[in-house]
Amino acid sequence: MGPGEQAETVIDLRGIQKWFDDNHVLRGVDLTVTRGEHVCVFGPSGSGKSTLLRTINLLEEPQRGSVRILGVEYGPGVDGEVGRGRAPAKQLRQHVGMVFQQFNLFPHMTVLDNVAIALRRVRGVDRAEAEERAARQLRRVGLLQKVSAYPSQLSGGQQQRVAIARALVLDPDVMLFDEPTSALDPELVGEVLGAMRDLAETGMTMVVVTHEMGFAREIGDQNVFMDEGVIVEQGGREIYTDSREARTRDFIRAVL
Amino acid sequence: MTFDTALVVERLPQMLAATRLTLGVSLLAFVLAVLVGLVMAAGRRSRLVPARALSFVYVNVFRGAALYVLVIWLFNGLAVATGILLSALTVGVLALTLLNSAYLAEVFRAAISGVDHGQWEAGNAIGLSRWDVFRRVVAPQAARIAVPATGNHLVDALKDSSILAVIAVPELMFVTNGIAQTTFRPFELYVTAAGIYLAIVFVLSWGLRRLERRLGVSGTRPVAPVV
Repeated sequence: MGPGEQAETVIDLRGIQKWFDDNHVLRGVDLTVTRGEHVCVFGPSGSGKSTLLRTINLLEEPQRGSVRILGVEYGPGVDGEVGRGRAPAKQLRQHVGMVFQQFNLFPHMTVLDNVAIALRRVRGVDRAEAEERAARQLRRVGLLQKVSAYPSQLSGGQQQRVAIARALVLDPDVMLFDEPTSALDPELVGEVLGAMRDLAETGMTMVVVTHEMGFAREIGDQNVFMDEGVIVEQGGREIYTDSREARTRDFIRAVL
Repeated sequence: MTFDTALVVERLPQMLAATRLTLGVSLLAFVLAVLVGLVMAAGRRSRLVPARALSFVYVNVFRGAALYVLVIWLFNGLAVATGILLSALTVGVLALTLLNSAYLAEVFRAAISGVDHGQWEAGNAIGLSRWDVFRRVVAPQAARIAVPATGNHLVDALKDSSILAVIAVPELMFVTNGIAQTTFRPFELYVTAAGIYLAIVFVLSWGLRRLERRLGVSGTRPVAPVV
């Protein structure tokens, strides 16, 4: 990108508020993610970081705030702008891939079908082409030999890599990762982080909620520390060594 | 006491002919009950309040109805109350359908709720429509959960159809009663009737076990792996 050229904004969140009954989980969060950027979100449990990630693809609908993906508004809007048309969540999900903590593969389908189903049912691609494209994504995460296995026959790390392939097959503009290694045995964490690192190197836009501070330090262009429903601090990699806020420092010290 | 085998052999064709009606009534009622049960289960999970209310009332009224009372009322009471006169056979199918569909609605609702919420989320996240998530992702897993309990209701419908003898539906029990009263050999005839019911239940149970294995219901030896 030449000087003066603006990177395209992929995600633009403004004034996001979310509450479950009287539990105010997000208290006004702004976040902008540009194309190719790798954003790492960290913070104590209950800080709202997973909820924030889930509002990006509307698995959680914020009560207030603007969720704009590639310039299209999907949220209820910020105060004063309410009432404009919102695009359907289904359209948003064509652009945003998601990887869950618990993998959430479909247990009754083969690995290949897990990856191919979105192409077939969402894009209307015929079976042969869908399977070929699914296989290509599985090769990318190193699991081509497992196409006909069922998820229960795979290790947690392999399941999560299938889940990554499943999200990639629709060529999303951004990939969301919700604590993708938290449910894994320690020896399986590396292979999943490896797949994510490979993905980051291709220039994929990524938002990662993680406790893997080493990984965050390695790929994070924008690093966001959340606590009690707000962004306490955000910045480049210096946040891990030289944070401004005491709360950030305390948290990093505690997890490292 | 002697067991009059010759009588059984002589009357068996007549009883087996009546068994065809027993099977017809109970299978038809079961199929209808599955369909109505699915609709009512969907109603219970609907976003529309009237749909939820309707299915709630339906389930609780017909689950609370005693089959015997329901049969007698539909046959005699409905005509008095509304002037609608139903044939005994219609009443039979209707009563078995109403009762079993109410139970099956709860079986299906529980089975759908039993599928991990993450499956809905994963389906939504890859852009599937709500219907596709249900049809392709949730329903196949819910079916595994629902099949054993659903099979029980098939067996129940079969055995319960014997109550239709009270309104003279010429099924196995009614025909057996008739033969027993004219030949004065109730023991042989009711043992034979019981044997026929038991044999059908055995065959059904065998079929259900095969189905469970094919679907990989937990507790059976899976053909397709299960989580």
